[in-house]
Amino acid sequence: MDDCCGPGTGPFGPRPTRRHVLDWMAAGGLAALLAGGPARAQAPDDEVVRIGYLPITDATALLVAHALGFFEDEGLKVEPPTLIRGWAPMVEGFAAGKFNLVHLLKPIPVWMRYNNNVPVKILAWGHTNGSALVVAGQGGVTSFADLGGKQIAVPFWYSMHNIVLQLALRSAGLKPVIKPQGDALAPDEVNLQILQPPEMPPALAAGKIDGYIVAEPFNALGELKAGGRILRFTGDIWKNHPCCVVATQEENTTRRPEWTQKVVNAVVRAEIHASRNKKDVAKLLSADGRNYLPMPAAVIERAIGHYDDPAYAASGANRNRAAWGNGRIDFQPWPYPSATKLIVEAMGKTVVGGDRTFLDRLDPDAVARDLVAYDFVRRALDRFPEWKADPSVNPGDPFDRQEVLSP
Amino acid sequence: MSAASFIRQAACAAAGLALLLAAWWLGAALVAGNPRTAAFADFAPGPALAALAGMLRRGELWGMAVPSLRRVGGGLAIAVALGVPLGILLGRSPAASAVTHLPFQLLRMISPLSWMPVAVLAFPTWDGAIVFLIAAAAVWPVTFATAAGLRKVDPHWFKVARNLGAGARHLLTTVVLPAVAADILTGIRLALGVAWVVLVPAEFLGVTSGLGYAINDARDTLQYDRLAATVLAIGAIGFALDGLCVALIRRTAWLRTT
Repeated sequence: MDDCCGPGTGPFGPRPTRRHVLDWMAAGGLAALLAGGPARAQAPDDEVVRIGYLPITDATALLVAHALGFFEDEGLKVEPPTLIRGWAPMVEGFAAGKFNLVHLLKPIPVWMRYNNNVPVKILAWGHTNGSALVVAGQGGVTSFADLGGKQIAVPFWYSMHNIVLQLALRSAGLKPVIKPQGDALAPDEVNLQILQPPEMPPALAAGKIDGYIVAEPFNALGELKAGGRILRFTGDIWKNHPCCVVATQEENTTRRPEWTQKVVNAVVRAEIHASRNKKDVAKLLSADGRNYLPMPAAVIERAIGHYDDPAYAASGANRNRAAWGNGRIDFQPWPYPSATKLIVEAMGKTVVGGDRTFLDRLDPDAVARDLVAYDFVRRALDRFPEWKADPSVNPGDPFDRQEVLSP
Repeated sequence: MSAASFIRQAACAAAGLALLLAAWWLGAALVAGNPRTAAFADFAPGPALAALAGMLRRGELWGMAVPSLRRVGGGLAIAVALGVPLGILLGRSPAASAVTHLPFQLLRMISPLSWMPVAVLAFPTWDGAIVFLIAAAAVWPVTFATAAGLRKVDPHWFKVARNLGAGARHLLTTVVLPAVAADILTGIRLALGVAWVVLVPAEFLGVTSGLGYAINDARDTLQYDRLAATVLAIGAIGFALDGLCVALIRRTAWLRTT
């Protein structure tokens, strides 16, 4: 299914040659120093599963698969997952072959594969929904329209958070901009900045930013510790949107298809387990359980499960909950091509820092065909039909859907 | 040291610490006084010291300090192994000094953290990458201190040594190294400070132990009492190591400044 393009070609014809993986990593002179080296994304040579993850709930599928021995069930050897604290070192570790199984915000592989020629393939979605826009509890912001002239932090330019935020801002008639702090903003402008997730709650409390949009559990922490209020859940803006995807080196899908199939089987089983046992999984991952995530169980439980709250309903933070039936975070692995296309289209309209010219040449249909390896996950899903029970799947027509936006 | 001067020194140290404590307390009080930021005031002296006591009691601190000390030690060892010979070369050879001046000044100014992508790509293990980052920061103070120390040495010493029949090895062990030992240690003392600075961000990389890792964990969970407690621990360990350097410098110094 992903053999549409011969070697050396991509959705927009021949790929740019010899662009180094690093030239987008560091904005500094070091990248220039190294540019021109061969693009690397070599898979580790042995067949041990090496997982890299960030301490966020987006990593749940990989962590549960490890914790419950699902990789071993498939006959795979697996190393304890490696905790990394930023997307940049995560991608560097992936490119250097330190990991062969990672979770990445869905726009990151788009950028890696088509801007930097890093041979990465998406194997499955890691989860659906699971993020939110948090604003100051006392501030007067009650809708997106109130965000004009405000400062909002995003975790990464190439993130679902940035895409969904800007989608909602545009539909509220606002203009996302990237300006130096302190520059005057027009009433219809919203200034965006990158901030590390752990810095977001204190920055909000101190009034340095007016809001932030990020993965859990930093929204739960913002609610619990920074006096923050959820303005809107992203899963309430875009029904069952993808967020983090599970990815590997392309080489693994071509040279080691059996290995890849086993990995995907384990991930699919983990997502089915997570979808059914959210509370147990929260405990398991937390500092009170197996300590994959440093946060206590109460925080992770809120981040994974706390959605049915009258305060959210009253403020409209999850106004579509009854109609859509989704949770704060849901787990289903099927990578709907319609969502990939929508992301690529939305990325074309999204303001980001740095060179984004590659986006102009992307064809959403070709990306949806080329970026994702569908066969493995399809086989795994046929083997484990329980995945259809997740609220973010329509069991009547599980492999196809229309993207629903309600900004 | 006379009793009077010892008492005066101790009083000065206590006054300095008291000032620091007051500033710390005041900063925390300001954060606590603002209702919006009150939840982040855990870094105040009270909660921080309580957290530190807890970490000491549970033996956690030791487990955090050992891996970090090993990484700092490894980085410093590499920095000394490279920096001392390099410094001696620069100090003895004006040509080498002239050739390397520009590139070294350029490299020296690079924040070691911008080497992170290279470190990750070049080293098979995460620990290796971290040790490299520390070494990349620590090698410059050692190199330049050694070179500067050697340039101060009276050239007649070398002439005398050669006239007495000293070979290259003798020259190194009986003239050069004793002459610059104190300078090397001064360089190591500076390098040690830099190494601790680099440690915290370097332990962002895929390791699950160490003081920097603990700081990152505390940040990720917004547990600022643990954050401040770890900062205190780093400060205390750094102070102890610095004291060790100072003692060694005193022993090896041949230019008494009293």
